[in-house]
Amino acid sequence: MIKTYDVVIAGGGVIGASCAYHLSRRKDLKVAMIDCKRPGNASRASAGGLWAIGESVGLGCGVIFFRMMSAERKREAQGTAVIVDSSTPHILPECFFDFALQSNALYPGLHQEMIEKHGMDFKFERTGLKYVIYDDEDRLYAEHIVANIPHLSDEVRWLDQAALRESEPSVSHDALGALEFLCDHQVSPFRLTDAYTEGARQNGVDLYFNSNVTEVLRQGSKVVGVRTDNQGAFHCKTLINAAGAWAAELSVMATDLSIPVAPVKGQIVLTERMPKLLNGCLTTSDCYLAQKDNGEILIGSTTEDKGFDVSTTFPEIAGLVQGAMRCIPELKDVNLKRTWAGLRPGSPDELPILGPMAGVEGYLNACGHFRTGILTSAITGVMLDALVRDQPLPLDVTPFLADRFNLQPVGLKKVIGA
Amino acid sequence: MSPDPVIVGGGPAAISAAIELAQHGVRSTLLEEASRLGGVVYRGPLREGVELDYLGERYKDALHKLHAEFADIAHSVDVRLNHRVVGGQGEHSLQVLDPDERLQEVGFGQLLLGAGCHERSVPFPGWTIPGVIMLGGLQLQIKSGVVKPRGPTLIVGTGPLLMLVACQLHAAGVEVAGVYEACEFTRIAKESLALLNQPQLFLDGLSMLMYLKRHGVTVRYGWGVVQARGDGELSEVIVAPYSDTWQPDLSKAQPVMARTLAVGYGFIPRTQLTQQMGLDHAYNVDGYLAVKADTWQRSNQPHIHLAGDVTGMRGGEAAMLTGRIAALSILLQRGVLSEKQARAQRRVYLSRLNTIVRFRGAIDRYTQRGTRQIELPQADTVVCRCENVTRADIDLALSQGVQDMASLKMRTRVSMGDCQGRMCVGYCSDRLRESTGRQDVGWLRPRFPLEPVPFSAFTNACKDA
Repeated sequence: MIKTYDVVIAGGGVIGASCAYHLSRRKDLKVAMIDCKRPGNASRASAGGLWAIGESVGLGCGVIFFRMMSAERKREAQGTAVIVDSSTPHILPECFFDFALQSNALYPGLHQEMIEKHGMDFKFERTGLKYVIYDDEDRLYAEHIVANIPHLSDEVRWLDQAALRESEPSVSHDALGALEFLCDHQVSPFRLTDAYTEGARQNGVDLYFNSNVTEVLRQGSKVVGVRTDNQGAFHCKTLINAAGAWAAELSVMATDLSIPVAPVKGQIVLTERMPKLLNGCLTTSDCYLAQKDNGEILIGSTTEDKGFDVSTTFPEIAGLVQGAMRCIPELKDVNLKRTWAGLRPGSPDELPILGPMAGVEGYLNACGHFRTGILTSAITGVMLDALVRDQPLPLDVTPFLADRFNLQPVGLKKVIGA
Repeated sequence: MSPDPVIVGGGPAAISAAIELAQHGVRSTLLEEASRLGGVVYRGPLREGVELDYLGERYKDALHKLHAEFADIAHSVDVRLNHRVVGGQGEHSLQVLDPDERLQEVGFGQLLLGAGCHERSVPFPGWTIPGVIMLGGLQLQIKSGVVKPRGPTLIVGTGPLLMLVACQLHAAGVEVAGVYEACEFTRIAKESLALLNQPQLFLDGLSMLMYLKRHGVTVRYGWGVVQARGDGELSEVIVAPYSDTWQPDLSKAQPVMARTLAVGYGFIPRTQLTQQMGLDHAYNVDGYLAVKADTWQRSNQPHIHLAGDVTGMRGGEAAMLTGRIAALSILLQRGVLSEKQARAQRRVYLSRLNTIVRFRGAIDRYTQRGTRQIELPQADTVVCRCENVTRADIDLALSQGVQDMASLKMRTRVSMGDCQGRMCVGYCSDRLRESTGRQDVGWLRPRFPLEPVPFSAFTNACKDA
């Protein structure tokens, strides 16, 4: 039996679920979401930081990159002064700030809406994000960030040593101060994914869990449906690729082009539950720390190119633990409860890949969100809803189109009629 | 020269393997989490000089024999007590928490994992009230020679351990309020022929029953627990007749006064480490995972061996034999024994093992759990003790379309606590199987560390590299 839908979403992570939710709000479209949990899916592995500015300026996971590069440079320069040039820290282009900040602004309202309409609380918390400064290198890094975002000066605050100790008494007294981003907050990442999913279900979206898309059905240049391993065929007017780290595989099936999405491994450490130790989220040049709603502190994260491997590795975990103890000395008496690894869907320029592709009908990308999928899931859902309906977009989609890459066909596939 | 073989565990499987290796001149390193060797079955008293007369002659003989044999070769085993293996990375190293709470990496050429088993948790209303404990845990307390339960003590569950612990308790002077075996007596009787494969064990069972009768202890077959009650501590247990599928007949439910309730509905392989190391597993008939081993006790990684209950519940004597067979394989891999020598010795162990397996099969058949026990919890009954998740939370998630373990975990937080789901995953996967009609409802791969580890344990880790 063939199922017929207006929209089929392939992928039920935070992006696919947000698309499902936003498309279902008016309850006028027939929508299906097809999902199969694979090891390393990033929505569940994520920290849940809504660090709109922090991530845009390369803090959070990004800072670990910088430290690595900086150490290399120091070795190369054999002890000469630290060089901070315009390529470090890695600050993303203006269009990404707009994308991230618009998405960030949606969460307070979305949080209310999810609780009131759907009984789902994704634990939105106003925390701020403090970049903890230990030394001159960190300070240079912070000054460079501030100099590059003059338009956001209202959202940035410098804390001297006394102010930092007052607002975060647990932070090491070796810290010299901090740079705080006032609009950066946090959610529970898997509760956010579940809230979108359950909201969508209540709005009438059909959910197909434990199903894999095995084939994309096409008529000429038009995508007309998918075939699955255990739910048969689905016909649809639009297929949304929200397949996370696995998005390239689906894009080949749909378009013969491989969009440049590749897994970027991140390892994470979690403490046991504790009374409130942190008032806000912290990032240092070693790691970030976020105390979640239930008292656990989540510490992340490595950035590794290891394919689809999701093993945790002792040296990397030890590095995160040592970085966390440096920032919060009290942690030495606390238990580490769990570690895991997730696969960020990375793109070469760290920008997501959204919207249609030239020469292909009935297909939209919603992938390549790298390390900001939780943060930008809301705006992605809004944009995809508008793209499906061919309505005005809140932001220009051009910088996010897959066509910005020079994509080459990866061998012709048999065209399958429906 | 490759490093010494590493043995994880200190129970009968591990000790027997170390003995077999040493008898062929191969040193080994043995990592044991407890403060003494023997495992949960053969650990013996925690204090010197404690006499455990009430444990029975057969147990005492076995205990002394194993420890004496080990004492003869102890000089060729590097025994590291109070060492907890909290993770395995790749195929060549383990992460170990030492007694000073520092993390070490221990490399190995060959590895033998004998992690044993743990008790199966059964949630029912009141199962978290102080005074309700696991049967195996209670038996460990008696064996320690230090702790006795507060009587009267009621024993519920299934399997030969019920009668054994009841006798041990009674002999130790504890008032036994009754023994309620979930399986009907006629089903046990049907297995008597197979049970006679091990006549001594079977007669032990019969004599235990006679002992309890003689001392006026109530023994009921085909009955099980329904609820535990008490204000802050246990005062009363509700029991009822169980059907074949362990559906309680509440119209015939009865209260029993008790201060301690020991619950023993069986054991399951302790597979956290083998799962974390990515070895091949399969579901056994009871719906639990066991790690797969071939006839040399090898996992799918040929240098990683498995012995004892971790590959399926077969008890202490089988553990000793599988430990010996694993050691033969290691000796073969190290070139100490020829293929012919190893095979000849294995034949001896296998024939003894087969006798035990037939006997064990009979026990497995009569203790096979009834799935209707999943109806015991009420809406407010806590299922996941670590995260305080109730049956109502799980019902809601299932009604919202959750279909696999990982999604249930994310929706309800079951298994997100310290125990990584050891307690609740059985109930949860049963519910998922029933709700989806699928046998495979996914699984939760245990993560490093398998037990919580203090941050300070990492202070000097990896710094020399």
